[in-house]
Amino acid sequence: MLDRLAISMRASHVLAILLLAAALCLAALGAALDDSFYLRLGTEALIFAGLALSVDLLLGYSGALSLGQALYFGIGAYVSALTLMTVPSFWLAMAAAGLATLVAATIGGLIANRVRGVYFALITFGMAQVVAKVVYNTRELGASDGMIGIPVVQIQFGPFAISAGNPVGFFLIVLAIIMGLYGLSAYLLETPFGRVLTALKANERRVPFLGYSVWRARMAVYVFAGLVAGLSGALYPVLRGFVSPELMFFATSGNAVISVILGGVGTLIGAIYGAVLLVILKSIIGSWTEHHLIVIGLLFMLCVMFLPKGLVGFSRPWIERRIVRVPSQEVTASAVSPAIAKSRSAS
Amino acid sequence: MIPPVLDVRGLGISFGGLKAVDDVSFSVERHRITTIIGPNGAGKSTLFNLISGALTPRNGKVMIDGVEMTRGSAEQKKAAGLSRSFQITNLFFELTVAENLRLAAQLLEPPTHAFLPIRRSRRAMEKTERMLERFRLAHRRDELAGNLSHGDQRRLEIAVCLASEPKLLLLDEPTQGMSHADTQDTAALVRGLTEDVTVLLIEHDIGLVMNLSDHVVVMHQGRKLAEGPPKVVRSDPVVQAAYFGHH
Ligand SMILES: Nc1ncnc2c1ncn2[C@@H]1O[C@H](COP(=O)(O)OP(=O)(O)O)[C@@H](O)[C@H]1O
Ligand SMILES: [Mg+2]
Repeated sequence: MLDRLAISMRASHVLAILLLAAALCLAALGAALDDSFYLRLGTEALIFAGLALSVDLLLGYSGALSLGQALYFGIGAYVSALTLMTVPSFWLAMAAAGLATLVAATIGGLIANRVRGVYFALITFGMAQVVAKVVYNTRELGASDGMIGIPVVQIQFGPFAISAGNPVGFFLIVLAIIMGLYGLSAYLLETPFGRVLTALKANERRVPFLGYSVWRARMAVYVFAGLVAGLSGALYPVLRGFVSPELMFFATSGNAVISVILGGVGTLIGAIYGAVLLVILKSIIGSWTEHHLIVIGLLFMLCVMFLPKGLVGFSRPWIERRIVRVPSQEVTASAVSPAIAKSRSAS
Repeated sequence: MIPPVLDVRGLGISFGGLKAVDDVSFSVERHRITTIIGPNGAGKSTLFNLISGALTPRNGKVMIDGVEMTRGSAEQKKAAGLSRSFQITNLFFELTVAENLRLAAQLLEPPTHAFLPIRRSRRAMEKTERMLERFRLAHRRDELAGNLSHGDQRRLEIAVCLASEPKLLLLDEPTQGMSHADTQDTAALVRGLTEDVTVLLIEHDIGLVMNLSDHVVVMHQGRKLAEGPPKVVRSDPVVQAAYFGHH
């Protein structure tokens, strides 16, 4: 028997399949037309979608707004870059980045989870700024220039190998990894552990009296979200061949939060749609005018005013109604409008 | 000798200068209904907070089943078998009725189930269904808890507390704000609970208290004024003066 939260997650999966289909079309089209610009743009969008996914895990499920999630994205990117420059192995770089972000997120979580709400947002912001400044001033890490000249690697799959320089091949690999992270996140949210997170968001103070440790749940989701951000970040130098401190700056964290709000807080797939939309918008508007931030800012304001639940939050109830297949409009509206879509900021 | 389910010794806490709970001792016998009465501000809810781990006592001891748990956290006390409700309805209003119950019932499952799909937690699911039936909430299972009537919310709170099969149930004014019919209904419900659990109640309705309780503890200005069987307590002149005199 499906409950409301499970129905909402199914509806997200429907949208995930749509996105996957669109991405495969892009890959086929790109391969046929021998395109690399759009495929690489799509790959970049998916990488930032991973960061947005990590923000939504925290904000949309446990109710904690992180303004510094780029910290783990950046750590993943730098560790991946450093690894690739030493040993040109994609999987080793991913593993090293994953391990490093696990450690970093555990330390970050111990600091940030001492506080709640606005203070949590400020501490996560502060931690990212501090580390970004340290990186910015560390010559061994390339300081403000970052690190360039990361070799193009061959990505091994047993006896096969795909070059990271192959636009279609790498796009598909990134697509698989990001959708894998989405799938893993969705799986976790449909476990008793995931439901405790929704309980935290709904009424944190009641949770200890049900017998659950608030601190442990918050730590677990924080570390997992850090890992998702770190693994996404690890893909960045493979695509672009360089890393720079901007990856950890507030603009990166802020864009991820905007992506989540555009797509729909607490929908998971909305984070991915939002990030893809944002990267595409930036690229299209950026080719018309250099003041693309003004346009994006305005679009963001309009979205918050007229689509407060985001694109997915707005469209998902329609899919939910198809999933439960109850014909009457009123009954279904009250039975499925998502309980978790009440998406206020962290408090 | 089997120790009492709950044993409170010399419990106390102050807020600023105010001794909200002051040197309170009593014990709660198994499968009985013990009721705490006293005027508003007597310290009854604060006493619950001290017992349940919401507040840490300044003085005294809290023993659950003979084990000292004075400084235990709310989770630790829950693990020891204590469940509590709140004077002001405290549910997951944005979650469904069934999900509120399922969250509580999940505690019946081994911790290894935490990372398996929810449907693998059969006991929790079955418990949820049984609680929905028993508390006549089955027809509202997919409704958000926030959309229930006040009476249904109060019933759901008791159900949530029971869903994890506690040994000791603390109910803070469960009938508060209920209609007369709902109050009678809840009284019958609470009476039926003592087969499985021990109940410690805070209740305002004196008629109900006299009917329902096996043992009554009277509080006044943070202190325990008297305790005993309901009839004895009611006719105690000190209690009459301090408490019933106000009514
Ligand atoms: N957290 C708190 N901080 C300060 N004063 C409190 C707090 N909790 C309760 N009090 C005070 O302690 C006294 C007892 O309150 P309470 O336990 O709620 O009484 P009752 O439940 O018997 O009506 C009241 O005077 C109340 O104002
Ligand atoms: Mg009270």
